[in-house]
Amino acid sequence: MNIGTVIFFVLGAVFNIMGNLGVIIFPDAYTRLQASSTCSTTSVLSFLIGCMFLVGLGPMLGRLLVITIFFFVTSPISAHIIARFAWQNGMVAWRRNFRMTGGRGRADG
Amino acid sequence: MNLRARWNLVRFFITFISLFSGWLLFTWSLDTGSLVAGVVSCIAVSLVTWSIFVDETEAGRRAHLPRPHYFLLFLGVLVFNMYVASFKVLWQIVRGNINPSMVHFRTHLRTDIARVVLTSSITLTPGTITVDLNEDHLVVHWLDAQTTHSRYAGKLIKGIYEKLLRRVWL
Repeated sequence: MNIGTVIFFVLGAVFNIMGNLGVIIFPDAYTRLQASSTCSTTSVLSFLIGCMFLVGLGPMLGRLLVITIFFFVTSPISAHIIARFAWQNGMVAWRRNFRMTGGRGRADG
Repeated sequence: MNLRARWNLVRFFITFISLFSGWLLFTWSLDTGSLVAGVVSCIAVSLVTWSIFVDETEAGRRAHLPRPHYFLLFLGVLVFNMYVASFKVLWQIVRGNINPSMVHFRTHLRTDIARVVLTSSITLTPGTITVDLNEDHLVVHWLDAQTTHSRYAGKLIKGIYEKLLRRVWL
């Protein structure tokens, strides 16, 4: 275990926990998708980079690179398909209340 | 050999080379047995999939040969932006202070693969999700919208990606 592995594993754990917290906190489907898909993307990328630091140069590095490329291709597509389904079914995105607060206040309805 | 047959052959070889580089990365060995097995299985798979993998109208040189140094620079910028934006989203989750909005803008990229890579990298960057891509018109859900003006929002979201991708593909 070198220092790069530790840093990236800790980053991955933090992003994963906060992404799942965001799924509970956020108000509608699009924002929940933001929290779940994109934060967990960064978390999985952190774990993969940590694994690259762990194994060093060798045969496992090539496999990790292939997995990373595959993940970079598939992960945004799955998020995009869910968002596109919601968009084409006419789901309206949640907006903060501009009229009451002048644009920069907290939501109240 | 007419033009169509030659182009079909080139499409077959592009498929084969893409598959075989994946095989080399995955096995990471130069044994004879491994290479022969790779070549045979790659030819078998390319015989089935070459017509899907490369579209018939996609005949530009830059559509298949990205400039490698700009592509590596693009990947570095993408990963760096992912981490920066992740910390921003983290901060927004902690404070619960979000301002989501749908923004529409257009892209100047021409080839299909460059547009797909642009939308994928917008989705990979936390805080923005591409909802729809129709020709050159993108619909993006933005978690912390600073503006709804089309051109300015496009500049903020796709700015550096589009500049680099125009050098990589077209």
